[in-house]
Amino acid sequence: MASNNNTRRISEVGLSDSEPSTQHLVYGVLHGISPPSSNFIDQHGSTAYDFGELEEALIPKVLQNDGDRKPLLGIHPPPTLEIFPSWPVRYQPTPRAHSHQSGESTTDSGSAQNTGSQLEPESPVSSSQKSQPNRRSSDPSLHQKQERSDMAPAPSDSTAHHHNQSKTLVDKAYVQQLESSKIKLTQLEQDLQRARAQGLFIAGAGGGSNVSSGAAIFDMEHARWIEENQRHMAELRAGLNAHLPDTDLRLILDGCLGHYDEIFRLKGIAAKADVFHVFSGLWLTPAERCFLWMGGFKPSELLKILVPQLEPLTEQQFIGICNLQQSSQQAEEALSQGLEALHQSLADTVVGGGSLGDPPNHHVTNYMAHMAIALARLANLESFVRQADNLRQQTLHQLRRILTVRQAVRCFLAIGEYYSRLRALSSLWASRPRESMITYGNSSQLTSSLQMIQQQPPHQNHFSTF
Amino acid sequence: MHYQTEAWGAYMAPRTAGTDPLERVERLAAENAVVIFSISSCCMCHAVKRLFCGMGVNPTVYELDEDPRGKEMEKALVRLLGSSQAVPAVFIGGKLIGPMDRVMASHINGSLVPLLKEAGALWL
Repeated sequence: MASNNNTRRISEVGLSDSEPSTQHLVYGVLHGISPPSSNFIDQHGSTAYDFGELEEALIPKVLQNDGDRKPLLGIHPPPTLEIFPSWPVRYQPTPRAHSHQSGESTTDSGSAQNTGSQLEPESPVSSSQKSQPNRRSSDPSLHQKQERSDMAPAPSDSTAHHHNQSKTLVDKAYVQQLESSKIKLTQLEQDLQRARAQGLFIAGAGGGSNVSSGAAIFDMEHARWIEENQRHMAELRAGLNAHLPDTDLRLILDGCLGHYDEIFRLKGIAAKADVFHVFSGLWLTPAERCFLWMGGFKPSELLKILVPQLEPLTEQQFIGICNLQQSSQQAEEALSQGLEALHQSLADTVVGGGSLGDPPNHHVTNYMAHMAIALARLANLESFVRQADNLRQQTLHQLRRILTVRQAVRCFLAIGEYYSRLRALSSLWASRPRESMITYGNSSQLTSSLQMIQQQPPHQNHFSTF
Repeated sequence: MHYQTEAWGAYMAPRTAGTDPLERVERLAAENAVVIFSISSCCMCHAVKRLFCGMGVNPTVYELDEDPRGKEMEKALVRLLGSSQAVPAVFIGGKLIGPMDRVMASHINGSLVPLLKEAGALWL
């Protein structure tokens, strides 16, 4: 990913780099990711990312917007560059006003991470993913730092000493700025990923975007589909609890099933536009992707989970379910073997383009011919995804046929709940404490993160159905 | 699974050169309980063959790319199936079941096995 490369480049820039080139580098990074995300950044009106001011007053000015930074999950970020015990008064445009913030900013460059996470409270997306308690109250060293920065050497010191000191400090300032930019960048990337998953990322073919428009559109549609599905689930549950007659329940159920048909239709369109996006499950949350089979769930696996939830079943129903399980397993096996054949023929074609020991330009015509054939083989992937989706769709419909109305309602509620929990698991995973900050033995952090998630608004809270 | 070639034709009445490909397809389809029209390089055809073999069925496979008149038969199948994909095309008991998705759908909804039994391809 381009942005990863830029991140790496930032950390590689040494102290010897001249000022303007560093600035351009950082600018380049920003511009590399800004077009698709410009809406996202603009939403928050944050000026903390205006690195153009770097030239003038370096860190103090840029970090002046760190008024209310909030760390991840209330954890103390690790100090990465403890090289600013104090900040000279000379470099503070408004010493009094900014010393407080500068003092904070110089305690540790992990504060830069806080700057990045400053986005969090304002973003409609990430507010559902992370909540950070205000760290300010928990920082006892604040006042001490502020005092220390006030005690920085006055301009009346010898100019030579001061000049040397200022030069070193300028260099150190750059290092810290680079550090903080890197952290901000990773933060931005994470936010973008999350926004995309939640369907707020409308990329088009934006510069620096590595998501095709077909994929981005599908991600958005999928997010909308999930919301709509929650609505169907709520309707089903309400209908069940209200003991509606079967005729009414059947209507709601048909609507629910039709909604599943809709996602398969959308997946078909998306597969035509970008088969690898669908096939690799990039539109799924990580926990769902764990179970990925040919661009979605494995029908026999889902049946295995559902059967215990469906009891009691009549003998005929049980036989029907068993047959369904067996036939879906056979169909899955057949498709998997077909895919294996595709792998084999694709590998043969790629190798056939010339001995792997030789460079490609050795047998150009042969190589290109085989590449053309390989392209055609790759295109077959779409038909496999389509057949797999067909299998999923047929399995759901057959399930509906075997079960009574009430059983089917409970069945589809169970399916909805299961995937809802998997998505919640993915959210938890994304906001889990990192190894560098915390040991996994500390369960209190997990508890607090669970509590934070529970405080989210219900429609975004996957735990609301628990 | 056994692969048929038109060698069988040598033992039967000589064919006229202008046999309608569709007729030929239907004739071939009627000769065995389970008939699959395939192309040797097609991976989905491989999948459908594996499906039947996995069920214990012994389908008769015609590889159209190995048949001198395969191209015409392909076109006839395209018209018959109403889709751009001629293969795989599955016939059971001489009746067209359809392309892969129809075969899978009928397997899932439980109608495939009775059809196979009826055609004598399955005995359990």
